[in-house]
Amino acid sequence: MQNLPTTETMSPVSVADVPDMIRAAHDAKQAIYTIGGGTSLEYGVAPTRTGYALETTGLSRVVDYTPRDMTIVAEAGVRVRDLGQTLATEKQQLPIDAPRATEATIGGLVASNWSGPRRYGYGTLRDYVIGISAVDGRGVPFKGGGRVVKNVAGYDFCKLLTGSLGTLGIITQLTFKLKPQSEQAVTLLVPCEDLDVAEQVLVTLVDVPSPPAAIDLLVGTGWKELAGLSESASANLVAVRLEGSETEVSAMCDQLQAELVSASRADVLILDRIAGDSLLNSQIEFSDRGIAAGGDSTPLTAKITALPSAVTQLVARLLQYDPDCTIQAHAGTGVIIVRFAKFQASDLTTFLIGQLRPAAIRAGGGLSILSSEFEDLTSQIVWGGRVASSGLMEQIKQKFDPRGILNPGRFMFQA
Amino acid sequence: MSASLVSLAGRLRRLLGSENVLDARSELVVYECDGFTVAKNAPDIAVFPRSVEDVAQIVRCCRKYDVPFLPRGAGTSLAGGCLPVGGGVMIVLTRMREILEVHLRDRYAIVEPGVVNAWLNRHLAGTGFHYAPDPSSQSACTIGGNVATNSGGPHTLKYGVTTNHVLGLEMVTSEGEIVRLGGPTEDPLGIDLVGTMVGSEGTLGIVTRIWVRLTRNPQGVRTMLAIFESVDEATQSISEIIGAGIIPAALEMMDQGIVEALEAAFHFGFPLDAEAILLIEVDGLEAGLDQQRDRITDICNQNGAREVQLATTEKERQELWKCRKRAFGAIGRLSPSFCTQDGVVPRTQLPHIFRKIREISAEHDIRIVNVFHAGDGNLHPILLFDERSPEQVHRVLEASKAILDECIACGGSVTGEHGIGVEKISYMKKLFSESDLEVMERLRSALNPHGRLSPGKMLPTAGACGMEQVHPGRRAAL
Repeated sequence: MQNLPTTETMSPVSVADVPDMIRAAHDAKQAIYTIGGGTSLEYGVAPTRTGYALETTGLSRVVDYTPRDMTIVAEAGVRVRDLGQTLATEKQQLPIDAPRATEATIGGLVASNWSGPRRYGYGTLRDYVIGISAVDGRGVPFKGGGRVVKNVAGYDFCKLLTGSLGTLGIITQLTFKLKPQSEQAVTLLVPCEDLDVAEQVLVTLVDVPSPPAAIDLLVGTGWKELAGLSESASANLVAVRLEGSETEVSAMCDQLQAELVSASRADVLILDRIAGDSLLNSQIEFSDRGIAAGGDSTPLTAKITALPSAVTQLVARLLQYDPDCTIQAHAGTGVIIVRFAKFQASDLTTFLIGQLRPAAIRAGGGLSILSSEFEDLTSQIVWGGRVASSGLMEQIKQKFDPRGILNPGRFMFQA
Repeated sequence: MSASLVSLAGRLRRLLGSENVLDARSELVVYECDGFTVAKNAPDIAVFPRSVEDVAQIVRCCRKYDVPFLPRGAGTSLAGGCLPVGGGVMIVLTRMREILEVHLRDRYAIVEPGVVNAWLNRHLAGTGFHYAPDPSSQSACTIGGNVATNSGGPHTLKYGVTTNHVLGLEMVTSEGEIVRLGGPTEDPLGIDLVGTMVGSEGTLGIVTRIWVRLTRNPQGVRTMLAIFESVDEATQSISEIIGAGIIPAALEMMDQGIVEALEAAFHFGFPLDAEAILLIEVDGLEAGLDQQRDRITDICNQNGAREVQLATTEKERQELWKCRKRAFGAIGRLSPSFCTQDGVVPRTQLPHIFRKIREISAEHDIRIVNVFHAGDGNLHPILLFDERSPEQVHRVLEASKAILDECIACGGSVTGEHGIGVEKISYMKKLFSESDLEVMERLRSALNPHGRLSPGKMLPTAGACGMEQVHPGRRAAL
């Protein structure tokens, strides 16, 4: 865990405690670093300004759960795993894949807009947060949305705050729209001889009549070992997870198997639910700790976004730089997570800023660093330089946090 | 028109050509309201830009002359979102109507804001993909307008509303800058400005280009129509279908009043004593559909459905949908005028809200019929009256207010898809606290610092205290 430069810790036990705490920090011009489960404190630029820690884990109540409405209202400090268990009693789910779910809180999850492999089939948090309460940098509590799944009254604070990294307000309570749990799941594992074959497989998958829950391109020997494949097997795997009713999954599986064999010219492995869930679990934890059971270390983990059609080219570029890196590409949505095996500090400017990020931008997206062993990385390195909309973001930041006390210096805009 | 406006009109003519500028009173009448016909006010000038540069230049001119301005699409919105409060310049985007790019491999398209919703799907026919949001005004409304109001539609129960399908935007800010937000890829860096813009009712910027997500067409579809003796049986069935883990593509309800109107107009053969009809559609993989259909049929039967009709051919499916789509046209049979409301309740509150609507109808002596998106809990009670009677008009307004207040009391909202516009400003204080509204006002002032863009909309704080309604809206499209 990254050490935050905090001098004292505030631990609200009720949502009503938070405004006073922030007002006090605002008046004292003290920075506030909000901590949920502490699982993604490395995300963003390392903080330098001293300030207070605000721990949200005391805000741990489920406020309302009406299964027939398929919505749940819970305080921000509820752990992701606990929420999942509550929902599982009613065969429902919030289908967002979060690493370290026993520790991570829903508030942190939303603030960092985390997502995983199943984002292809289920979407991301912006599709599920329908109500939000927060407190801005002046200590003013506010809310947006509500408890109903369709609602266009007022500005969409749910979208504004999701992924804002705690820089516009401290999230205190959330309402989520839910999905039924799927009855069955099967994973098809397609070994691809090379990345050209992988692209063929991915193109085939765009056209299937019912979108799979997840399409991950997994590259690196670690994945191969994890899946129990022989040493001679290819290190490029496409893992396709199908979810739905028994009938749907079995029909989809039969149809896809034939198409994927033809696209990959290889044997397609079918993992049953237990093996598939185990692989999914590794895919979910990958960005946080790699593949090895006890976690493996990496000098740098980056997230690249790109058009889905550019994924294999970018993967090739990554392998060219570091043949031993491990990659998980959510290929259907163009989100690539790479954990480098070796990365020189000098390559931050030459390779990462000079080549990789421009390649991602050319592919329609961008690049950010999720975590690294290098110290004192600037916003320029972590997030990239200013973009066309930086000015608008800063204008909003100024209104929500005029003294710049919420997670200062950590996000991609000034303050 | 003031000398300053005459000078502005002249400048806009030089900029855009006189064929793209209107300022004669007689020509501006068309632009005095949208589907919310209660409030009318013509703009002083209407302009028809053909490019983002045109829009930026127009906004800069308005800024220079310190004149308010607002965007308009097809004008189908139902809450007065494109009413030019205080006059000024109306920027009509219907001449920016190109479908610019379609990328099936990457599942997105780029369109201009004046592209009519249905044109995009017509353009995509045969590709196996479609654009999912389908407001019932889709043959007229524009995608730019859909972005402004975050439009829904019957199929949003499963597929989500506009905001779930917009990846990126190009917009002109209130100061006349051209900015791109997001783009064709997911998770753009920084705060979610695209999500913040969608549904902001034209108060934060003028959208000039839209990157939309394309959705794979479902392999198969099953459509059924269930007839119930009582509203409670129908609402209970809805709750159980969702409770069984089935998310239909659409789940629409029509009550006895609508059935009566449909029968009078089109003779579908529905029993007139049935209190409710559900139109239910499931789609997806062919293999799972019969199972879902059977499960839904069982649930309806267990809850006392008198009859469940299944469409076995596409023609029969169209027939079943016809009754839903023609419902509004049929209402003219029931009364000279009608007012459609748009409220939302949690699904489990549907039986309660229906009982309440019945009570409100009796109490105010106003007949109310219902046709709505039941699966989302999005109500559209239709209040029938004669607009020639001021006394009836008054009762309709009181009844509307009572219904919306009850939606709030049930934990719902006063608008699911029509927007706040000018119509519902006064409800914002009931739904939100003073500090909620103050923070919303701050967001608006961040992106619209001088308040020239779409003044008098959405928030009660910017000098718009809420319209004192003297007349309810008449038209409706769902």
